[in-house]
Amino acid sequence: MAGKTRHIGSIIAGSLLGGLQAKLDEDINVEGISVGRLIVVDGALNKFFCLLKDVSLEATNEDILLNPPRDDFSKMVHAGVNTFYKLSLQPMLITSQEPEADDRPRPSTTVPPHFSPVCEATADDISLIFGEPGLTNPEIGSPVFMDVPVCLNLERFCKRSNAVFGKSGSGKSVLARMILGHLVKSDMAINLIFDMHGEYGWSATSEGSGLDDPSLRQLLGSKVAIFTVDADSPLYRKIRPDYDVQIPYGIIEIADLELAAGELGLTQAGIETMYRLHDAWGESKWLAKFLAMDAGELSLVVEELKVNDQALGKLHRCLSGLKRLPFIKKEVADDTVARIMNEIKTGRHIVFQFGRYNSMLSYILVANILTRRLHRLYVDRTDSARAEGTEGPKPLVVTIEEAHKFLDPAVARQTIFGTIAREMRKYNMVLLLIDQRPSGIDDEILSQVGTRIIGELGDERDINAVLTGLPSQGTLKVLINNLEPRQFLLTGFAPPMPVVIDAKEYGTFCSELRVGAGVIVNEIERRKSMDSLKANVFGDDEIRFD
Amino acid sequence: MSERIGEIIQVSTTRFLAQSDDLSVLPHFGSFIKTQSQGMNIYGLVFNVYETSIDPNRRAMAFGIERDELLRRQPQIAEFLKVEFEAAVIGFDDAGYIRAYLPPFPPRIHSFVYPCDNREVIDLTEDLEFIRSVNALPGLPVEELAAASIRLAYAERGNDSAFLTRAGQEIAQLLKDEYEKARSIIRRISDGR
Repeated sequence: MAGKTRHIGSIIAGSLLGGLQAKLDEDINVEGISVGRLIVVDGALNKFFCLLKDVSLEATNEDILLNPPRDDFSKMVHAGVNTFYKLSLQPMLITSQEPEADDRPRPSTTVPPHFSPVCEATADDISLIFGEPGLTNPEIGSPVFMDVPVCLNLERFCKRSNAVFGKSGSGKSVLARMILGHLVKSDMAINLIFDMHGEYGWSATSEGSGLDDPSLRQLLGSKVAIFTVDADSPLYRKIRPDYDVQIPYGIIEIADLELAAGELGLTQAGIETMYRLHDAWGESKWLAKFLAMDAGELSLVVEELKVNDQALGKLHRCLSGLKRLPFIKKEVADDTVARIMNEIKTGRHIVFQFGRYNSMLSYILVANILTRRLHRLYVDRTDSARAEGTEGPKPLVVTIEEAHKFLDPAVARQTIFGTIAREMRKYNMVLLLIDQRPSGIDDEILSQVGTRIIGELGDERDINAVLTGLPSQGTLKVLINNLEPRQFLLTGFAPPMPVVIDAKEYGTFCSELRVGAGVIVNEIERRKSMDSLKANVFGDDEIRFD
Repeated sequence: MSERIGEIIQVSTTRFLAQSDDLSVLPHFGSFIKTQSQGMNIYGLVFNVYETSIDPNRRAMAFGIERDELLRRQPQIAEFLKVEFEAAVIGFDDAGYIRAYLPPFPPRIHSFVYPCDNREVIDLTEDLEFIRSVNALPGLPVEELAAASIRLAYAERGNDSAFLTRAGQEIAQLLKDEYEKARSIIRRISDGR
């Protein structure tokens, strides 16, 4: 893969801390140089890989600004002499001009000499930084304005908790699906995906075409098991879910309900009351017993436990919301967590779906209850594996959407997700957060997030939040501000340097996973034939409303 | 060598004064001229041309008759007039290479002066370093001179607009601390397009 180097300028000033300054060549049109590009500076001994962070207009002489040239000829002859364009570059990585076979780019610790040539990065440079595409290093997009693969190193990716941020419509779900697809295919880690909107199972509706794109189960077949709390959902007309999940009241803890306090409408008094009931009736029984009570029985409780009757009444009304979730039962036949563990042992990946019960309440409750128990099992197994000197459980990536609901600063310290994010990979369990409101996530958790894939974000607070704990925030902020839909800033632990990418086409991703491409084509053909059939039957006259 | 246009009557390192052979021929302001001295061509740029009485104590008088008519009726008047021109030294040739900077010595008095041919004008104006030398000399109309010589070189090159652009850029570069001067030269040369 060779690319022709295009010389665009030369270094005129700079520092490692503040970044480099380059003067743009006179024959380069400044409008073709956009922020976020990868730039290579050819030093005497080293190649410097830099990120273009700013372009500015400069003049050598105040007079020309006060009395600007008017005609095109004058503008042209003053360009490059009295007026010029300055590029601000942030040096990121450095590599030897004549690299040895196993040399990898390393962080830059110096600057190139004066007047070093500045060039656009070529395909070779990109593949030197991000590696060649492969099973554990899949292509997820290409740098803006370049048609070269940018790959994500999954081995590094799985070593930390990660996040995909972006406002709705930024394409974050599609990108997350691609990354999860590659994670499943490469088996670098087992995935447990809490799929709130039913996008990671059989198919997902594409926002662009309105067609159903194939999703993980369709693309990867039996490697993916579908768990659901709503087996009767229309989602399962084509494919039966593997397990119909039911959750007993007995395993719901007060901490789970506290996390869903907003959704249930619980007050602080209500939470205090729950603890009284819990102490009096026992950990596994209190909730079922309480929910089964009627008004008369409640007044007996007031007398017996000396609790406020209004608080108790309100708590009863709030918790009755749980009765509307049919998958929460008094008694259940088998243990979902044990089943999940079995699947993990056999190396299957799990998509946990909610069907019609995709309210925030059921999502938060189920994700929290299951993950907490799984985490406990993982901690036990990892610790005993360490004690015995054997291999621990397989690494697990837990994907949660609407992550800010789980990692809100008020609750992040208590919830299991906060714990997992903080302890990183100690117990072989990491998170993949998918969220559109990163400012709602606790700072401490955000600073622990390894790889961040950041799409378009509107709110200034969100932009500040996603940059928590990262170096060169000023540069990255400019890049985030300039993102368009389907463009992402890839930064953090896995990518060697930050890069803005155009996410890969979903169709290409599907055909790369070898199945699925045909499915899309077939579907398009099917819709076309349906349209022509309709046209034959009803005529294809456009209906006009004048 | 083309026909001579004058003879040097005063020299210094940076400029020389020549007297024209023929009253009817006035060298162009901003034109390139050369003189041969000690086996070396020395090049100059005409920056001042004047016609005057041969006797410094007697000025010419107004006759109230058109010049051509006057010279026909009283041809002796021509004998009392002379044309002189001043040139700034802008370069020399050194073993066949044209150097656009001052020669080690000035031309000698009574050397003849010739116009430069096309090849020499092109070589002399390949870079416009001579404008820097001209700019450094006191009392020269630099803006007019630079513009006139560039326009002339442009014509010698068959109106090559790439040259004009390059010349404009050189001017902007040479006079980057004197923006107003550069601006007025650039305006003058862009007029000639």
